[in-house]
Amino acid sequence: MAVYKRGYQRYQGPLTSPASRLLVLPRFAWERLMQQRLISILFIVALFWPTGCALFIYLSHHLDLLQGMGGAATAKIFDINAEFFFIFMNAQATFAIILAAFAGPSLIAPDLSNGALPLYFSRPMSRSTYVLSRMLVLVGVLSPVTWIPGGLLFLMQSGMAGWDWFSANWHIGAAIVAGFFFWILLVSLVAMASSAYVRWRMIAGALVLGIFFILAGASELANAVLRVEWASAFNPTRATLQLWRALLGLEPFPGPDEYECFAALVLMIGLLAAILNRKLRPVEVVS
Amino acid sequence: MSTPNSPIGPAAATPMSTAATAPEVLFDDVSKFYGEVLGVNRVTLRIPPGITSLVGPNGSGKTTLMNLMAGLIHPDRGVITMRGLSPRHPERLMRILGYATQYDSAPRGSTGLDFVTTGLILTGFSSAEASTRAQAALHRVRMAEASRRKVASYSKGMRQRIRLAQAIAHDPDILVLDEPLNGLDPLVRAETIALFREYAALGRHVILSSHVLQEVDIISDQVILIANGMIIAEGQIRSVREEIHQHPSQFVIRCRDASRIASLLFEHDHITQIKMQDDRLGLLVMTRNRADFSRALTRISLAGHTVESIVPADENMGALYEYLIGGDR
Amino acid sequence: MTNAARLRQVWTIARLQLTRVFFSKRSFWVYLLAFFPAVIFFAHGVEVKFKRDRYTSRVTPSSVLDAIRAGDSEGDVLRQAPGPVSDERYRPRRRRRGPDAEQQRTPDRRFLAYWDGSKRWELNFEDGILQTKRARPLNDFEEDRQVYAGVFQYFYLRLAIFFGCLGIFMNLFRGEMLDKTLHFWFLIPARREVLLAGKYLAGLIAAVVIFGSGAALSFALMLWPQDPTALQTFWATDGLSHVFWYSAAAALACVGYGSVFLASGLLLRNPIIPAVTILFWESINGILPAMLQKLSVLYYVEALCPVPPPMDSNAPLLIRLLAAPAEPPTAAFAVLGLLALTALVLFVASRAVRNIEVNYGVE
Repeated sequence: MAVYKRGYQRYQGPLTSPASRLLVLPRFAWERLMQQRLISILFIVALFWPTGCALFIYLSHHLDLLQGMGGAATAKIFDINAEFFFIFMNAQATFAIILAAFAGPSLIAPDLSNGALPLYFSRPMSRSTYVLSRMLVLVGVLSPVTWIPGGLLFLMQSGMAGWDWFSANWHIGAAIVAGFFFWILLVSLVAMASSAYVRWRMIAGALVLGIFFILAGASELANAVLRVEWASAFNPTRATLQLWRALLGLEPFPGPDEYECFAALVLMIGLLAAILNRKLRPVEVVS
Repeated sequence: MSTPNSPIGPAAATPMSTAATAPEVLFDDVSKFYGEVLGVNRVTLRIPPGITSLVGPNGSGKTTLMNLMAGLIHPDRGVITMRGLSPRHPERLMRILGYATQYDSAPRGSTGLDFVTTGLILTGFSSAEASTRAQAALHRVRMAEASRRKVASYSKGMRQRIRLAQAIAHDPDILVLDEPLNGLDPLVRAETIALFREYAALGRHVILSSHVLQEVDIISDQVILIANGMIIAEGQIRSVREEIHQHPSQFVIRCRDASRIASLLFEHDHITQIKMQDDRLGLLVMTRNRADFSRALTRISLAGHTVESIVPADENMGALYEYLIGGDR
Repeated sequence: MTNAARLRQVWTIARLQLTRVFFSKRSFWVYLLAFFPAVIFFAHGVEVKFKRDRYTSRVTPSSVLDAIRAGDSEGDVLRQAPGPVSDERYRPRRRRRGPDAEQQRTPDRRFLAYWDGSKRWELNFEDGILQTKRARPLNDFEEDRQVYAGVFQYFYLRLAIFFGCLGIFMNLFRGEMLDKTLHFWFLIPARREVLLAGKYLAGLIAAVVIFGSGAALSFALMLWPQDPTALQTFWATDGLSHVFWYSAAAALACVGYGSVFLASGLLLRNPIIPAVTILFWESINGILPAMLQKLSVLYYVEALCPVPPPMDSNAPLLIRLLAAPAEPPTAAFAVLGLLALTALVLFVASRAVRNIEVNYGVE
């Protein structure tokens, strides 16, 4: 043991906290993502609609600016209610899918295809920490186009409409934040599971789009052929929209109700988590 | 598509088969950039048949040169001719060229035998002929037993050998081999070197890259030194050494009266340094002028001093590498 | 080298590649896409046959059902016709908040269904009062053909063949680049164009076989539960022509999308960009100027489909606009137009493949 005694001494200095270590991966990933021109362009495009909505809210409180357009009909057009926020959320959800398709796969697929997982897992980092830190990247990317502008729009409307409107509609604000967080969770898991499954960054992006489009098509197909409506629960977009309508207090779409949709979405999330659990292992399987 | 009938191995072919085409590999002012990164710059080369080694540090452009030869990448400027054929015409070039690349992946799911046989079928051999040739090539690189296993399960050395088998299976006139001796065990290494020599003896080209300078010394008819994408030197090791004037040539002289011979040599201006070997029966002499040194030694011999042997001490790749590229290998 | 020898090379490359396309693990998803509708049509057929068997034990005479009128109460109806084959109730939860919630509440609904031996009668109640009554065959062949037309045009052409071809044809070059195996193909003594043709042929054969058989099987399973008399009439009139044109449309969609994605795989590193762009382009094709419409695969293949797809009247105006078929060309023009478009795209691909370089480092 002479060599051990002479040459090796374990590091005994201070270590950073587990919480700050969790943020190490996202910090570098955000930096890398923001250097991509396409991501920047998508970000900007994704903010057009919230800007338009903000303008709409402003105009709804300043109808006098629209000369010759007074009256009840105009007031109805400019009514800011749960339906307005639902339409806003619907549009931003699409941008979230596209952003996740471009940004998500670059988080896990390169680690798998380059055999980098053993490097991560030889550090004090578990698989769940790894997944969580990767998901944090997507939360950071998708938040500025989802719940943050949604929350700001809600606050803007509350500020302009007054306390009465806020106290009657606070559930809309909560629905925006909760609904978008659920959507971010789902979209992130789809992006990460796709990239873990195919291991190719490029193909995984197309797969993310494919999953959302094809599941939508397949569920509509099943509805049409079997003359049923329950298959809509397996369309993640439709199921989430149904959930949002319930959270916003809106009339539900025909078909499976919010509880059935929620159950289907939880099932889907479980499936995606299982794929991640199976694929994210620091081993190479020779086939 | 014609079906070549010659059996595997250089012995089966004749040098006549290459006589009809220009037997040289030519690079004329060739440059290749990867975006803003330099691959190779203004390379002009004339590689005669025989074993030619490309030597240079990592990232110096060796693989780029080889990929250019095989047409896997195209030059941004300049012209490449491989025994009279352009790499832009794989239909003709790949019949006479075999390339063992550095990429060790094979098409997904293929076994070693599939990998070699498929290449032969695509070359135009019938299935039966392809199978026979593949078996022979695999046997040649000692991979016959493992040939039914998937390439993905091979070790580094086995992957190296399977790539070599694929490169030689169609009996090409030009063999381009990227680090072909890496990962091979000593026995296979010796056999592989013997294979290169057989190919070269038949007037074919064997162009390889290697980091093992001792092996380059042993096997190469000529060397090409490359650094930072530029050719530093080319030719036979001795002639390259002779061109390097800023470093004195080194010779080891074995003799009985070493002290006396050393004092006689010191009378000449071109001698810069002499070191006595520990057994006092040898000298390491450094001279700026090889011809004058030769004449001086002749005179010393004629004067009755016994010189048992004279061996150049720095006419090897190690020395050339150090002089021209630097100590960082 | 003679052209005949080159053609043999094309076939050799295609043959070797075909094994990989058909039997690779990744192809599982393509098979799933192609045969999912067949599974659903099979389930529908089983359901129809099962219902037919079940209903025969609970026949209500049509004279009794004829006597039932709108405005009758649930109790009256059940007294006159006590044996419904189906009874479903819907009590939606009240969730709308605010002062107008009561006015806008959704009524309680009940659906009763009866079987008179040949038709299914559907009675729709709101708050216990019969609102509508309609009789229709258990399985409407005409409706099923419409559904199949919708499945073919919306699912097969716009999704399954689109994404399937994206997977198959992108994989031919870009996939090999990602697997670091493309050099294997570039080191064979064949022109790059020959390699392109061989790979395209392999992708095309695989796509046509997989999606053609998927669509054909779905069609057969759609016909399976139909009334034999109706089927006989169908085969005597439009049957074969429908099968032919659906097959032709599926094959031509593979020809068109295959060439587009093969070229995209050569020209672009990231398949999401062509996927999103082409998906968007194909979606808005119906509202583009006539000249631009002709630069779309859907424009030609939709014109070959023998039955126009149903349009959901509840779909938003924008969706209906986007899904509206373009001004259809004639069948001959559609086939020739698509082949010309494919030839143009393949020509571009052949230029690109000559210059493509093996540079795995940038992937």
